[in-house]
Amino acid sequence: MTPVGTESQLVIAPMLIVLVAAAATLFLGRHPRARAAVSLAAGVAYGLAVAAIDWYIVLAPGAPGIATYQVGDWPAPFGITLVADGLSAFMLTMVAVLGIGSLVFSTRHLPGGEGRSYYFPLFHFLSLGVTGAFLTGDLFNLFVWFEVMLMASYVFVAYSGGPQHTRAAFWYVALNLLASAVFLLGVGGIYATTGTLNMADLAQRLADPAAYGLEPVPVVGLLGMLLSVFAIKAGLVPFQFWIPTAYRAAPPQITALLAGATKKVGIYAIIRLSFTVFAGAEVAVDLPLPVVDAAIAGDSPLPFVGAALLVMGAGSILVGGIGAVGRDSMEGVFAYSSIGQVGFIAVPVGIAATTVDPALREFAIIAALVFALNHTLAKGLLFLAVGTVRSATGTSRFADLGGLAGRSPPLAIAVFIASLALVGIPPLSGFFGKFLVFDVAARARAGPVIVLLLVGSLLTIAYATRMWNRSFWGARTDAVDAATIDPVQVGVLAILAATIVVVGIGFDPVYEFAETAAEAALDTDAYVDAVDPQNASELGGSSGGDH
Amino acid sequence: MTAIVLAAAVGALFALGTFLLLRRDLIRVVWGLAIISQAANVYLLAMGGIAPATADSVPVLAGHGDHVPETADPLVQALVLTAIVIGFGMTAFALVLSYRVYEEHDTLDVTELGDRE
Repeated sequence: MTPVGTESQLVIAPMLIVLVAAAATLFLGRHPRARAAVSLAAGVAYGLAVAAIDWYIVLAPGAPGIATYQVGDWPAPFGITLVADGLSAFMLTMVAVLGIGSLVFSTRHLPGGEGRSYYFPLFHFLSLGVTGAFLTGDLFNLFVWFEVMLMASYVFVAYSGGPQHTRAAFWYVALNLLASAVFLLGVGGIYATTGTLNMADLAQRLADPAAYGLEPVPVVGLLGMLLSVFAIKAGLVPFQFWIPTAYRAAPPQITALLAGATKKVGIYAIIRLSFTVFAGAEVAVDLPLPVVDAAIAGDSPLPFVGAALLVMGAGSILVGGIGAVGRDSMEGVFAYSSIGQVGFIAVPVGIAATTVDPALREFAIIAALVFALNHTLAKGLLFLAVGTVRSATGTSRFADLGGLAGRSPPLAIAVFIASLALVGIPPLSGFFGKFLVFDVAARARAGPVIVLLLVGSLLTIAYATRMWNRSFWGARTDAVDAATIDPVQVGVLAILAATIVVVGIGFDPVYEFAETAAEAALDTDAYVDAVDPQNASELGGSSGGDH
Repeated sequence: MTAIVLAAAVGALFALGTFLLLRRDLIRVVWGLAIISQAANVYLLAMGGIAPATADSVPVLAGHGDHVPETADPLVQALVLTAIVIGFGMTAFALVLSYRVYEEHDTLDVTELGDRE
């Protein structure tokens, strides 16, 4: 059994903070000021807890690199294990930066009438789901955190209360209920095949199936089912169709989180399960592809994952980019743009899964993580800017906008920086994200992928320019003239814009953090050692898998 | 035998759920979703493994320190319990939403709703 030390307690701290905040704000329904104050305090505490995890568990000299918390002191694999390693810490940090920004933003502008008292509790439940998904070391528990996250997001999609919002929420709920059923099927199948759902135990059993008397072949298909569920959350083509309506319907500061945080949960789950858990599974794979005269082959499920991710990523880049060019509102452009950007994250992950070179694999995951970080910051900022524009002018349609740059230069500068980061101009964070992704494709000698990335980048330039021209330049419209722009909201945008610049200029530590995260994602042994299910499985005998 | 019955039941439930999901009536869509999540639960329960019934396999533990009889896999039951609760909440939410859709759009026909862009 692992000793319960300070590091171990730290792992659960962010979850406890948001859980307490959610409960407290629920009871403070009648006191809007107290609600906002408690929420802000929780945001600060959450940020500190995540920073402490980053430093004491991952980054400090001599830090363990990974820490676990066995909930209720039930040893793995029988209890639920929470694990904080480099990958979890990187994702948590990303979400914490954007989440706190969105929280401050929300204290200034709350859409909706009677639903307002539920806004902050739901916000905290959404954060709780995201945090739990990043920290859990158990497959079924991951399902539960997905549901927590989704339930809050369902309400947010319906939050604004118009007929279109209700309809958008219904499609969103229907799609995700179906996805949850598929998730359960995958989880059940994996349990029947391997006799465990603890991720570390799973990795251990799959790496040596003969010792546990397992027949691991079915996990390839079951992993495929899980991947499709994660692809729905991440909004990869062909599961991208829900994104534009849902993103348009939710309040913009929540859309910032949907694009910046819940999408990344999908990406995180793909990376964690494919590389940490299933990479070691010994399954001989040989699937000839007669049309392109190639074959998917290898000795783990990864080649399948890689091929699927490359196809889905390529589709996302094209669909997102082309779709974004023709939209007629700011959030429409950004919603399609985030489909395309997730494609840019999926492509390097796909290359990591197809390559056999461990150095390239690690480098590709670093590229994906850096790109994800930039997407969270830049797209988060842009959706928050939609919120500012909408609360100031009452609209975010290009037809009613124009001349915003002259009306509020600070807002314009922040949006300009985020758009440049999206395009990938040095020295912003987006440059390194895009540069690394191109570098990965070049090192993998994947010519068609490079062409595709180039096309995607050109489309990004096209839609970012169009968005800028239509809303920030040109003649000032009446709506823009009458606008009163909230200084605190612009302040949040300015801080996020400054973060984008700082991440770009001081990129070295960020790269090192991403490198630590990628190493953690690939180091199955360290993960298994930290969770230590071996001990307990010996005590309890074979708890399943013998049928 | 039990395995065949369970497999047939899961298959039938999924078929029924999918059929309802593809209907034009929004309420039927909700029922379809509910049935599919129940089908997933039955499947999950079956994944715990089916042992032939013997005199020894009773679900009651006799007493402290006695011989422990064989029991069914408790883990899948815990999973299904959680999944049932989540599915119940989601079905209720989906029904409320469809009522709201009806209030706001005066129709529950999926095709008509889709046309109202």
